[in-house]
Amino acid sequence: MLRSDQILATVEMIQKENLDVRTVTLGLNLLDCRGGNIDQTCAKIRDKILTYAGNFVATCEAMSRKYGIPVVNKRIAVTPMAFVGAGFNREEFVRLAITLDEAATAVGVDILGGFSAQVEKGMTATDHEFIASIPAALAATSKVCASINIATTQKGINMDAVAMMGKTIKDLAEMTAEQGGFGAAKFVVFCNQPGDNPFMAGAIHGVEEAEAVLNVGVSGPGVIARALERLIHNHPAPGTLQLDELAEEIKQTTFRVTRCGELIGRAVSLSLGIEFGVVDLSLAPTPTVGDSVGEIFKILGVDAIGAPGSTAILAMLNDAVKKGGIFASKTVGGLSGAFIPVMEDAMLAEAVGNGSLCLEKLEAMTCVCSVGLDMIAIPGSVDADTISAIIADEMALGVINGKTTAVRLIPVPGKEAGDHVSFGGLFGASPIMPIRNVGMSSRFIAWGGRMPAPVHSFKN
Amino acid sequence: MKKHMIISVMSKDRPGIIASITGAIYQLGGDLADLNQTVLCGYLTMILSASFDVQVTKEDLVAAISHIKTDSKFEVSIKELSAAGADAPETSPEETYILTVQGPNKAGIVHGISQFCFDHNINILDLATTLKNDQYTMALQLDLRKCSLELEHLQKELDDYSRKSDLTVMIQHNDIFQVTHEISMP
Repeated sequence: MLRSDQILATVEMIQKENLDVRTVTLGLNLLDCRGGNIDQTCAKIRDKILTYAGNFVATCEAMSRKYGIPVVNKRIAVTPMAFVGAGFNREEFVRLAITLDEAATAVGVDILGGFSAQVEKGMTATDHEFIASIPAALAATSKVCASINIATTQKGINMDAVAMMGKTIKDLAEMTAEQGGFGAAKFVVFCNQPGDNPFMAGAIHGVEEAEAVLNVGVSGPGVIARALERLIHNHPAPGTLQLDELAEEIKQTTFRVTRCGELIGRAVSLSLGIEFGVVDLSLAPTPTVGDSVGEIFKILGVDAIGAPGSTAILAMLNDAVKKGGIFASKTVGGLSGAFIPVMEDAMLAEAVGNGSLCLEKLEAMTCVCSVGLDMIAIPGSVDADTISAIIADEMALGVINGKTTAVRLIPVPGKEAGDHVSFGGLFGASPIMPIRNVGMSSRFIAWGGRMPAPVHSFKN
Repeated sequence: MKKHMIISVMSKDRPGIIASITGAIYQLGGDLADLNQTVLCGYLTMILSASFDVQVTKEDLVAAISHIKTDSKFEVSIKELSAAGADAPETSPEETYILTVQGPNKAGIVHGISQFCFDHNINILDLATTLKNDQYTMALQLDLRKCSLELEHLQKELDDYSRKSDLTVMIQHNDIFQVTHEISMP
């Protein structure tokens, strides 16, 4: 029987509140593509991507039309390339990146992740070559994203890798200086990186995964914001609405949003004959007005994003999103929570501009949400060791709290705090975030070695 | 061998109508399969399907219902079904869509939309309307299997219709509503 009120609520959600499936990401294992030399390897990689992903974009678009819900991004995630290219040198790794870029373009996907390595405990000779190749590889390609896992709760933090990351990010920004250091926006450093995350820049196809898997990233901060506004509007008298009811509204709305993602993901999976992996129920904002996570802070009661209370609000939001999504989907994975990528969220970027949101508050907020210091534009003059030290702090949060954390900083060449940078599209724009205490952490970074795993990692 | 009949009844609403009608069917040895009923402006209408032994006739059923004591007369209509018709599947086809129509109330909204559906060979499976604060809302469940247009073209036609009629008309797949409001997945 038709219930008009329910039907209209769903229609509103889809047509007016920016409900979309943020990404369908095809995970593909490339370990069997290793050939006797770089030419053979590149040819095999290209063949495999074209074979598996040839119909991928068209199928996503067909399902998007059928259900009337946009699939914003079609992406590919591959096995971390440091494994696939074991024994190659840095120039050969750049060629692998170019091959991935060409294959991604050939099949029409928006972006490809997995130019990656996992060095949380130690680095091989290949890992050194791979890391050295990252700036040139990302400068020479447009669709390839890179990520490195340098810490886990089980193994601790690889501080040698931390030291290299600051320099890698600086080099990457310098090599893409004409685009405002955009190369650094395609590179992310992880602690506890999941192998089934469909979101970029950190998507990889973990070695524990099947041959090919489809993962779906749902989004919908706009849908959550509008649902909260409606609930608040319908309870105008003071004292008639409390936080637990607001959390419940977030949970129920997330259920609906996740269900739409699951429906489309499974339809694409069935049509392509590729196994369905997980739904990642992350609230991922876009620069579009009305599609902001930052806006939810204001709706829930802080007048400035970053004001006291912001961390508590984010903790509740992140938890309610997980609770709603877990029941909605058969298999949940990836990052699953709320993202706070500054440049990609118009209201977070505005809060940086007016000074209400600073790096230290963002760091505190990442203790309770699903990712980390994400898409933050910083002055180009900040030195590599300071960047490494910011990374070390964020890795420590992940290691100790047993959660994923990540850092994606863009030191914009030639720009200082208060200047503005724009990358366009989903990457967004933002004022440059001031960094305090620059140049005060070099002695710490110079130690190198490893930061041991915490006591609660010893569960065997 | 059984005989299937479809029975429709309309009456002024009061307690006991369903008990009386189904009692008459029961006394004739009928097995009730399905029943739908609704009340609008104080009038009840219901449609039900039941199977009987072959010797039971439509006239027997009319007689049984007319013997029910009631203040307002039942208006009854009965059709015999072929065996094939009785077994028609009830599940929604894959091409089931939900069309919603919203706008200020005026004469001819339902006719306009249903004529649009007819013109494109779209069958209406279910339809609900509400009038509130002079805003008219329709939700239609449609079977697009025999629709003369591809979905994309249908969408364009609906956009045109929406503009010309000053109504907000939207179409979404039925599964979307199922997954967002029910526990189980399709």
